[in-house]
Amino acid sequence: MSAQLAAALAAEEAAIYAYGTLGVKLTGTGDRTEARAAEAVHRARRDVLITRLSALRASTAPAPAGYTLPFEVTDRATALKLAIQVEDGVAQAWRAALPVTTGADRATALNALVDAAVRATRWRRLGEVTPATMAWPGRA
Amino acid sequence: MQVSDGPAGATARSGPGRATAVGRVLAPMVLTGRVKRRHLIGVAAGGALSATALAGCGLFDGDPEPAPPPDPLQTVLDEALALVAAYDRAVLAEPGLAKRLTPLAADHRTHAAELSRVIGQALPSGAPSASAPEGDAAESVAKLRKAEQAAQKTAAAACRVAPAERAGLTGSIAAARAAHAEALR
Repeated sequence: MSAQLAAALAAEEAAIYAYGTLGVKLTGTGDRTEARAAEAVHRARRDVLITRLSALRASTAPAPAGYTLPFEVTDRATALKLAIQVEDGVAQAWRAALPVTTGADRATALNALVDAAVRATRWRRLGEVTPATMAWPGRA
Repeated sequence: MQVSDGPAGATARSGPGRATAVGRVLAPMVLTGRVKRRHLIGVAAGGALSATALAGCGLFDGDPEPAPPPDPLQTVLDEALALVAAYDRAVLAEPGLAKRLTPLAADHRTHAAELSRVIGQALPSGAPSASAPEGDAAESVAKLRKAEQAAQKTAAAACRVAPAERAGLTGSIAAARAAHAEALR
Protein backbone atom coordinates (compact mmCIF):
# COMPACT_ATOMS: atom_id res chain seq x y z
CA MET A 1 0.00 0.00 0.00
CA SER A 2 2.73 2.49 0.93
CA ALA A 3 4.41 2.07 -2.45
CA GLN A 4 1.18 2.86 -4.31
CA LEU A 5 0.39 5.83 -2.07
CA ALA A 6 3.92 7.12 -2.57
CA ALA A 7 3.42 6.82 -6.34
CA ALA A 8 0.14 8.72 -6.01
CA LEU A 9 1.97 11.42 -4.10
CA ALA A 10 4.54 11.69 -6.87
CA ALA A 11 1.71 12.00 -9.43
CA GLU A 12 0.01 14.73 -7.38
CA GLU A 13 3.24 16.67 -7.04
CA ALA A 14 3.88 16.43 -10.78
CA ALA A 15 0.33 17.67 -11.38
CA ILE A 16 0.89 20.70 -9.14
CA TYR A 17 4.03 21.59 -11.05
CA ALA A 18 2.34 21.07 -14.43
CA TYR A 19 -0.62 23.28 -13.61
CA GLY A 20 1.69 26.02 -12.43
CA THR A 21 3.40 25.90 -15.82
CA LEU A 22 0.44 25.48 -18.16
CA GLY A 23 -1.83 27.92 -16.35
CA VAL A 24 -0.02 30.94 -17.80
CA LYS A 25 -0.66 29.69 -21.33
CA LEU A 26 -4.42 29.59 -20.81
CA THR A 27 -6.10 32.77 -21.90
CA GLY A 28 -9.82 32.46 -21.19
CA THR A 29 -11.15 33.17 -17.69
CA GLY A 30 -13.00 29.90 -17.63
CA ASP A 31 -9.88 27.91 -18.48
CA ARG A 32 -7.78 29.72 -15.90
CA THR A 33 -10.37 29.26 -13.16
CA GLU A 34 -10.48 25.59 -13.99
CA ALA A 35 -6.69 25.25 -13.89
CA ARG A 36 -6.48 27.07 -10.54
CA ALA A 37 -9.22 24.89 -9.07
CA ALA A 38 -7.46 21.75 -10.29
CA GLU A 39 -4.15 22.84 -8.82
CA ALA A 40 -5.85 23.52 -5.46
CA VAL A 41 -7.40 20.04 -5.44
CA HIS A 42 -4.05 18.42 -6.19
CA ARG A 43 -2.37 20.43 -3.43
CA ALA A 44 -5.00 19.34 -0.93
CA ARG A 45 -4.59 15.71 -1.94
CA ARG A 46 -0.85 15.99 -1.70
CA ASP A 47 -1.18 17.25 1.88
CA VAL A 48 -3.50 14.35 2.78
CA LEU A 49 -1.04 11.86 1.30
CA ILE A 50 1.95 13.32 3.13
CA THR A 51 0.07 13.01 6.43
CA ARG A 52 -1.06 9.47 5.64
CA LEU A 53 2.36 8.28 4.58
CA SER A 54 3.84 9.83 7.68
CA ALA A 55 1.33 7.91 9.82
CA LEU A 56 2.31 4.75 7.97
CA ARG A 57 5.92 5.60 8.76
CA ALA A 58 6.70 5.32 5.08
CA SER A 59 9.54 7.41 3.79
CA THR A 60 8.79 9.65 0.86
CA ALA A 61 11.29 11.16 -1.50
CA PRO A 62 11.11 14.96 -1.54
CA ALA A 63 9.33 16.46 -4.51
CA PRO A 64 11.69 17.32 -7.36
CA ALA A 65 12.49 20.99 -7.77
CA GLY A 66 11.48 20.82 -11.40
CA TYR A 67 10.23 18.36 -13.96
CA THR A 68 10.99 17.73 -17.59
CA LEU A 69 7.72 18.21 -19.36
CA PRO A 70 6.82 15.64 -22.05
CA PHE A 71 6.54 18.47 -24.58
CA GLU A 72 6.89 22.23 -24.64
CA VAL A 73 3.82 24.20 -23.60
CA THR A 74 3.58 27.14 -25.97
CA ASP A 75 -0.11 27.86 -26.45
CA ARG A 76 -3.61 26.94 -25.32
CA ALA A 77 -3.65 23.70 -27.31
CA THR A 78 -0.45 22.36 -25.76
CA ALA A 79 -1.51 23.64 -22.34
CA LEU A 80 -4.75 21.66 -22.55
CA LYS A 81 -2.87 18.65 -23.88
CA LEU A 82 -0.63 18.72 -20.80
CA ALA A 83 -3.58 19.14 -18.44
CA ILE A 84 -5.21 16.05 -19.98
CA GLN A 85 -2.02 14.01 -19.66
CA VAL A 86 -1.55 15.11 -16.07
CA GLU A 87 -5.05 14.05 -15.04
CA ASP A 88 -4.69 10.75 -16.90
CA GLY A 89 -1.47 10.13 -14.97
CA VAL A 90 -3.04 11.00 -11.63
CA ALA A 91 -5.94 8.65 -12.45
CA GLN A 92 -3.49 5.83 -13.17
CA ALA A 93 -1.67 6.30 -9.90
CA TRP A 94 -4.84 6.23 -7.85
CA ARG A 95 -6.37 3.29 -9.70
CA ALA A 96 -3.26 1.28 -8.83
CA ALA A 97 -3.90 2.07 -5.17
CA LEU A 98 -7.42 0.59 -5.18
CA PRO A 99 -6.55 -3.13 -4.90
CA VAL A 100 -4.05 -2.55 -2.10
CA THR A 101 -6.21 -0.32 0.07
CA THR A 102 -9.33 -0.82 2.17
CA GLY A 103 -11.76 1.32 4.11
CA ALA A 104 -10.93 5.03 4.28
CA ASP A 105 -7.75 4.64 2.20
CA ARG A 106 -9.67 3.01 -0.63
CA ALA A 107 -12.41 5.65 -0.41
CA THR A 108 -9.73 8.34 -0.79
CA ALA A 109 -8.20 6.53 -3.76
CA LEU A 110 -11.61 6.08 -5.41
CA ASN A 111 -12.57 9.73 -4.95
CA ALA A 112 -9.23 10.78 -6.41
CA LEU A 113 -9.61 8.45 -9.41
CA VAL A 114 -13.14 9.71 -10.07
CA ASP A 115 -12.06 13.35 -9.74
CA ALA A 116 -9.12 12.87 -12.11
CA ALA A 117 -11.34 11.14 -14.68
CA VAL A 118 -13.89 13.96 -14.52
CA ARG A 119 -11.19 16.63 -14.90
CA ALA A 120 -9.61 14.76 -17.79
CA THR A 121 -12.97 14.71 -19.57
CA ARG A 122 -13.52 18.38 -18.79
CA TRP A 123 -10.15 19.31 -20.31
CA ARG A 124 -10.81 17.09 -23.32
CA ARG A 125 -14.09 18.85 -23.96
CA LEU A 126 -12.44 22.26 -23.65
CA GLY A 127 -9.76 21.11 -26.08
CA GLU A 128 -12.38 19.52 -28.35
CA VAL A 129 -10.58 16.22 -28.05
CA THR A 130 -12.75 13.25 -28.93
CA PRO A 131 -13.66 10.92 -27.54
CA ALA A 132 -14.03 12.89 -24.33
CA THR A 133 -14.30 9.75 -22.20
CA MET A 134 -12.62 6.36 -21.99
CA ALA A 135 -13.96 2.99 -20.98
CA TRP A 136 -11.35 2.39 -18.26
CA PRO A 137 -10.12 5.56 -16.59
CA GLY A 138 -6.86 4.91 -14.80
CA ARG A 139 -5.87 1.86 -16.81
CA ALA A 140 -2.40 2.36 -18.25
CA MET B 1 -100.91 -61.81 -29.43
CA GLN B 2 -97.88 -59.86 -30.43
CA VAL B 3 -95.04 -59.51 -28.02
CA SER B 4 -92.80 -56.56 -28.57
CA ASP B 5 -89.31 -57.09 -27.40
CA GLY B 6 -86.50 -54.76 -26.72
CA PRO B 7 -83.29 -54.88 -28.57
CA ALA B 8 -82.27 -58.09 -26.94
CA GLY B 9 -85.39 -59.62 -28.15
CA ALA B 10 -84.83 -58.15 -31.51
CA THR B 11 -81.36 -59.54 -31.39
CA ALA B 12 -82.63 -62.93 -30.37
CA ARG B 13 -85.24 -62.99 -32.99
CA SER B 14 -83.17 -61.40 -35.68
CA GLY B 15 -81.33 -63.16 -38.26
CA PRO B 16 -77.55 -63.22 -38.16
CA GLY B 17 -77.26 -59.95 -40.17
CA ARG B 18 -79.37 -57.92 -37.87
CA ALA B 19 -77.79 -59.30 -34.74
CA THR B 20 -74.48 -58.37 -36.17
CA ALA B 21 -75.65 -54.82 -36.92
CA VAL B 22 -76.90 -54.27 -33.40
CA GLY B 23 -73.93 -56.07 -32.03
CA ARG B 24 -71.77 -53.68 -33.97
CA VAL B 25 -73.59 -50.76 -32.34
CA LEU B 26 -73.37 -52.10 -28.83
CA ALA B 27 -70.18 -54.02 -28.74
CA PRO B 28 -67.75 -51.20 -29.49
CA MET B 29 -69.15 -49.15 -26.63
CA VAL B 30 -68.82 -52.00 -24.22
CA LEU B 31 -65.57 -53.19 -25.52
CA THR B 32 -64.16 -49.71 -25.75
CA GLY B 33 -65.27 -49.02 -22.22
CA ARG B 34 -63.56 -52.13 -20.98
CA VAL B 35 -60.45 -51.56 -22.99
CA LYS B 36 -60.22 -47.99 -21.85
CA ARG B 37 -60.56 -48.88 -18.21
CA ARG B 38 -58.01 -51.59 -18.55
CA HIS B 39 -55.73 -49.23 -20.33
CA LEU B 40 -56.22 -46.59 -17.68
CA ILE B 41 -55.75 -49.04 -14.88
CA GLY B 42 -52.68 -50.32 -16.59
CA VAL B 43 -51.25 -46.86 -16.91
CA ALA B 44 -52.12 -45.95 -13.35
CA ALA B 45 -50.56 -49.11 -12.07
CA GLY B 46 -47.58 -48.62 -14.27
CA GLY B 47 -47.36 -44.98 -13.26
CA ALA B 48 -47.58 -45.83 -9.63
CA LEU B 49 -44.99 -48.48 -10.11
CA SER B 50 -42.81 -46.04 -12.00
CA ALA B 51 -43.08 -43.45 -9.27
CA THR B 52 -42.22 -46.02 -6.70
CA ALA B 53 -39.33 -47.17 -8.78
CA LEU B 54 -38.04 -43.63 -9.21
CA ALA B 55 -38.46 -42.64 -5.60
CA GLY B 56 -35.29 -44.40 -4.67
CA CYS B 57 -33.20 -42.36 -7.13
CA GLY B 58 -33.22 -39.21 -4.96
CA LEU B 59 -35.05 -37.13 -7.55
CA PHE B 60 -37.85 -36.49 -5.15
CA ASP B 61 -35.81 -36.47 -1.94
CA GLY B 62 -35.95 -33.27 0.11
CA ASP B 63 -35.92 -29.72 -1.31
CA PRO B 64 -34.16 -28.68 -4.48
CA GLU B 65 -30.77 -27.04 -3.89
CA PRO B 66 -31.24 -23.29 -3.27
CA ALA B 67 -29.97 -21.04 -6.05
CA PRO B 68 -26.59 -19.43 -5.28
CA PRO B 69 -26.76 -15.76 -4.19
CA PRO B 70 -26.37 -13.28 -7.05
CA ASP B 71 -22.89 -11.94 -7.71
CA PRO B 72 -22.35 -8.51 -6.10
CA LEU B 73 -21.36 -7.24 -9.53
CA GLN B 74 -24.74 -8.18 -10.98
CA THR B 75 -26.25 -4.76 -10.20
CA VAL B 76 -23.32 -3.01 -11.83
CA LEU B 77 -23.78 -5.19 -14.93
CA ASP B 78 -27.55 -4.65 -14.99
CA GLU B 79 -27.01 -0.90 -14.87
CA ALA B 80 -24.45 -1.01 -17.65
CA LEU B 81 -26.94 -2.86 -19.86
CA ALA B 82 -29.75 -0.49 -18.91
CA LEU B 83 -27.54 2.46 -19.84
CA VAL B 84 -26.70 0.89 -23.20
CA ALA B 85 -30.42 0.48 -23.88
CA ALA B 86 -31.18 4.04 -22.77
CA TYR B 87 -28.48 5.47 -25.05
CA ASP B 88 -29.66 3.37 -28.00
CA ARG B 89 -33.22 4.56 -27.51
CA ALA B 90 -32.11 8.19 -27.26
CA VAL B 91 -30.15 7.96 -30.51
CA LEU B 92 -33.09 6.25 -32.24
CA ALA B 93 -35.38 9.07 -31.16
CA GLU B 94 -32.87 11.84 -31.98
CA PRO B 95 -30.35 10.71 -34.58
CA GLY B 96 -28.59 14.07 -34.29
CA LEU B 97 -27.34 12.96 -30.87
CA ALA B 98 -25.47 9.98 -32.30
CA LYS B 99 -22.10 11.71 -32.53
CA ARG B 100 -22.27 12.68 -28.91
CA LEU B 101 -23.89 9.60 -27.41
CA THR B 102 -22.47 6.67 -29.37
CA PRO B 103 -18.97 6.82 -27.80
CA LEU B 104 -20.54 6.90 -24.33
CA ALA B 105 -22.71 3.89 -25.15
CA ALA B 106 -19.59 2.13 -26.40
CA ASP B 107 -17.98 2.57 -22.97
CA HIS B 108 -20.96 0.90 -21.32
CA ARG B 109 -20.84 -1.96 -23.82
CA THR B 110 -17.20 -2.48 -22.94
CA HIS B 111 -18.07 -2.47 -19.25
CA ALA B 112 -20.91 -4.95 -19.73
CA ALA B 113 -18.69 -7.35 -21.67
CA GLU B 114 -15.97 -7.31 -19.01
CA LEU B 115 -18.44 -7.56 -16.12
CA SER B 116 -20.21 -10.52 -17.67
CA ARG B 117 -16.86 -12.21 -18.19
CA VAL B 118 -15.87 -11.66 -14.56
CA ILE B 119 -19.26 -12.76 -13.22
CA GLY B 120 -19.25 -15.73 -15.59
CA GLN B 121 -22.60 -14.97 -17.12
CA ALA B 122 -23.42 -14.59 -20.79
CA LEU B 123 -24.94 -11.30 -21.88
CA PRO B 124 -28.62 -11.34 -22.80
CA SER B 125 -29.08 -11.30 -26.56
CA GLY B 126 -32.56 -9.80 -26.72
CA ALA B 127 -33.27 -6.52 -28.48
CA PRO B 128 -33.62 -3.44 -26.24
CA SER B 129 -37.12 -2.34 -25.30
CA ALA B 130 -38.81 -0.32 -27.99
CA SER B 131 -40.25 2.53 -25.93
CA ALA B 132 -38.88 5.82 -27.19
CA PRO B 133 -37.86 8.45 -24.65
CA GLU B 134 -40.15 11.42 -24.34
CA GLY B 135 -39.04 14.98 -24.69
CA ASP B 136 -36.57 16.70 -26.94
CA ALA B 137 -32.85 16.19 -27.29
CA ALA B 138 -31.95 18.38 -24.30
CA GLU B 139 -34.33 16.51 -22.03
CA SER B 140 -33.04 13.22 -23.32
CA VAL B 141 -29.46 14.20 -22.50
CA ALA B 142 -30.49 15.45 -19.06
CA LYS B 143 -32.17 12.13 -18.30
CA LEU B 144 -29.10 10.20 -19.40
CA ARG B 145 -26.94 12.39 -17.20
CA LYS B 146 -29.14 11.61 -14.19
CA ALA B 147 -28.96 7.91 -15.00
CA GLU B 148 -25.17 8.09 -15.17
CA GLN B 149 -25.01 9.83 -11.80
CA ALA B 150 -27.20 7.21 -10.16
CA ALA B 151 -25.21 4.38 -11.74
CA GLN B 152 -21.98 6.03 -10.64
CA LYS B 153 -23.10 5.79 -7.01
CA THR B 154 -23.77 2.07 -7.38
CA ALA B 155 -20.40 1.36 -8.94
CA ALA B 156 -18.64 3.45 -6.29
CA ALA B 157 -20.40 1.53 -3.54
CA ALA B 158 -19.40 -1.74 -5.18
CA CYS B 159 -15.79 -0.55 -5.38
CA ARG B 160 -15.62 0.36 -1.72
CA VAL B 161 -16.50 -3.18 -0.64
CA ALA B 162 -15.02 -5.14 -3.53
CA PRO B 163 -12.29 -7.75 -3.02
CA ALA B 164 -8.85 -6.64 -4.16
CA GLU B 165 -9.10 -8.28 -7.57
CA ARG B 166 -12.28 -6.37 -8.41
CA ALA B 167 -11.39 -2.99 -6.91
CA GLY B 168 -9.79 -1.61 -10.04
CA LEU B 169 -12.60 -2.82 -12.29
CA THR B 170 -15.39 -1.27 -10.23
CA GLY B 171 -13.40 1.87 -9.52
CA SER B 172 -12.76 2.43 -13.21
CA ILE B 173 -16.43 1.95 -13.99
CA ALA B 174 -17.41 4.43 -11.29
CA ALA B 175 -14.91 6.92 -12.69
CA ALA B 176 -16.14 6.35 -16.26
CA ARG B 177 -19.76 6.96 -15.26
CA ALA B 178 -18.76 10.18 -13.49
CA ALA B 179 -16.85 11.27 -16.59
CA HIS B 180 -19.93 10.52 -18.68
CA ALA B 181 -22.06 12.75 -16.48
CA GLU B 182 -19.46 15.45 -17.04
CA ALA B 183 -19.51 14.86 -20.79
CA LEU B 184 -23.30 15.23 -20.85
CA ARG B 185 -23.34 18.69 -19.26
